[in-house]
Amino acid sequence: MRMWKEFIKGLWKENAVFRQLMGMCPTLAVTNAAINGLAMGLATLFVLVCSSVIIAIVKNYIPDKVRIPSFIVVIATFVTIADLFMAAFFPDIQKVLGLFIPLIVVNCLILGRAEAFASNNPVKYALMDALGMGVGFTWALTLLGIIREVLGMGSIFGIEVMGVNFTPWIIFILPPGAFITLGILLGIFNAFSKKKTSEASCH
Amino acid sequence: MNNTSRMVVVLLLVGAISGLVLALTFKWTEPMINEIAQSNQKKAILEVLPKAKSYKTMENNNQLFIGYDDNGNEVGLAFIAEGGGFQGDIRMMVGMDTTEEKLTGMTVLSHLETPGLGARIEEDWFKDQFNEKSIEDDFIAKQDVEAITGATISSNAVSNILKNSIPKALDAYRTRGGK
Amino acid sequence: MIELILLFVGTALVNNFVLVRFLGICPFLGVSKKVEVSAGMGAATTFVMTLSAIAAWFIQNYLLDPFGLSRFLQYVSFILVISSLVQLVEIVLKKVSPSLYDALGIFLPLITTNCAILGLALYIPIKDYNLIESSIFGLGAGVGFTLSLVIMAGIREELEFADVPEPLEGAGITLLIAGVLSMVFLGFSGLIAM
Repeated sequence: MRMWKEFIKGLWKENAVFRQLMGMCPTLAVTNAAINGLAMGLATLFVLVCSSVIIAIVKNYIPDKVRIPSFIVVIATFVTIADLFMAAFFPDIQKVLGLFIPLIVVNCLILGRAEAFASNNPVKYALMDALGMGVGFTWALTLLGIIREVLGMGSIFGIEVMGVNFTPWIIFILPPGAFITLGILLGIFNAFSKKKTSEASCH
Repeated sequence: MNNTSRMVVVLLLVGAISGLVLALTFKWTEPMINEIAQSNQKKAILEVLPKAKSYKTMENNNQLFIGYDDNGNEVGLAFIAEGGGFQGDIRMMVGMDTTEEKLTGMTVLSHLETPGLGARIEEDWFKDQFNEKSIEDDFIAKQDVEAITGATISSNAVSNILKNSIPKALDAYRTRGGK
Repeated sequence: MIELILLFVGTALVNNFVLVRFLGICPFLGVSKKVEVSAGMGAATTFVMTLSAIAAWFIQNYLLDPFGLSRFLQYVSFILVISSLVQLVEIVLKKVSPSLYDALGIFLPLITTNCAILGLALYIPIKDYNLIESSIFGLGAGVGFTLSLVIMAGIREELEFADVPEPLEGAGITLLIAGVLSMVFLGFSGLIAM
């Protein structure tokens, strides 16, 4: 049953965005529409799962001193693959996410999981851990994207939902809206759960 | 094997595998990426030159395209115009009729304007007001063309880019053996 | 000359890396508790940013572009160069100026995974800057980063005496303040067309 436990913890208890404040840059930057948040989440999920599995496989052959550089190369390789793949099959989304696809390389969620989990656990647990963390990251980004898109443009995934008389609060799709939405969401989640969000756990 | 050489070997190996994998992925995706870029360009050119059925890229200048109709007659000139907008560069494809000296269309290729405000330069009502305008026009926002509410700077930027780039494109076109 | 000044101001204020471009959010939230610490982190980051900008320019123009590797080796090479650069700065600083190392040393390892640095490096080929513009861009980005970090720390020092609703304590209120700061910096937009 440990497999299931490793998966489930990333969804809420150790959720990367809402509980641990990891990967803040893409979380704030690309969530001005639901589809962008979802796409970013899935791209991160892909990189996280692939690099965690590879790192768990090769961990015993890598000397300690070159551990971090090797991990970074593995991660950057998968990020480039994801970028090329998206450019070939989903060019519109690749264009919107732009610079934030390469920046998955320095998303501390990925290096953090590689360091803290994949480099000292068996492959199957590393896989479940990465899947759970990735899905948790994806739903968090999608939720933020939905809230900001509804308030800022009156639509969800591009479908109008607020009726014609709704005046969009454009501030929500601008940079300040990202900070404010996440700040309020964290407050709401904290009010309803016993454990508080940790202070930013990577710098 | 001692520790240092093991470190070097591992790092080199990781690098080499990564390079190989990436080169293969690139080889596989490159044709698709190029095709997408090509078809986007074609779509933009044919959009701004409504009479054209095909086009040719001008020799010596890959930012200039000459449109032809079914009978192979020249029907207009399309060119890429770019310049600073509100937050970043705006790139547009502009089409004009060189004999009647008027614009036949423009479309935005890429921009970094504010979503919901400046980004509305992509909307049809804004783009379409440049159709049929004389190339001598000043395109002054709020006077010659309608500006976007709340995004005067973006509207002005589009006008300025057009005003600056039209003479340059025309010059380049005429000196390279146009009519 | 005037273009370079505009580029500097534009990078530091109008397109502030942290508050407008969302780069370097992690240190912005994590290290912005004390003004002094923030200033130290800012200085170390500015230093590495300027060096990275220059390094990225050389790699792009003398290695990636001539051999046509840019599309698929750019990310790997940039991140490797940045992490080696950080290591190098650490070693040199330790030898040359131990006092400076004492002040900035603890921040250096954190800088490798600061996405502002990789973001900066990636902007250089996109913006097609020359060598001088690249270094000014790096410097401006660093100064902008330091500025937002120090402002945030100043507010948070005062915040310790404020009565914040319990659920918002810590990260929540920090993000809300960042939202207001971001609005302030949005006021700079349009100042310089970039």
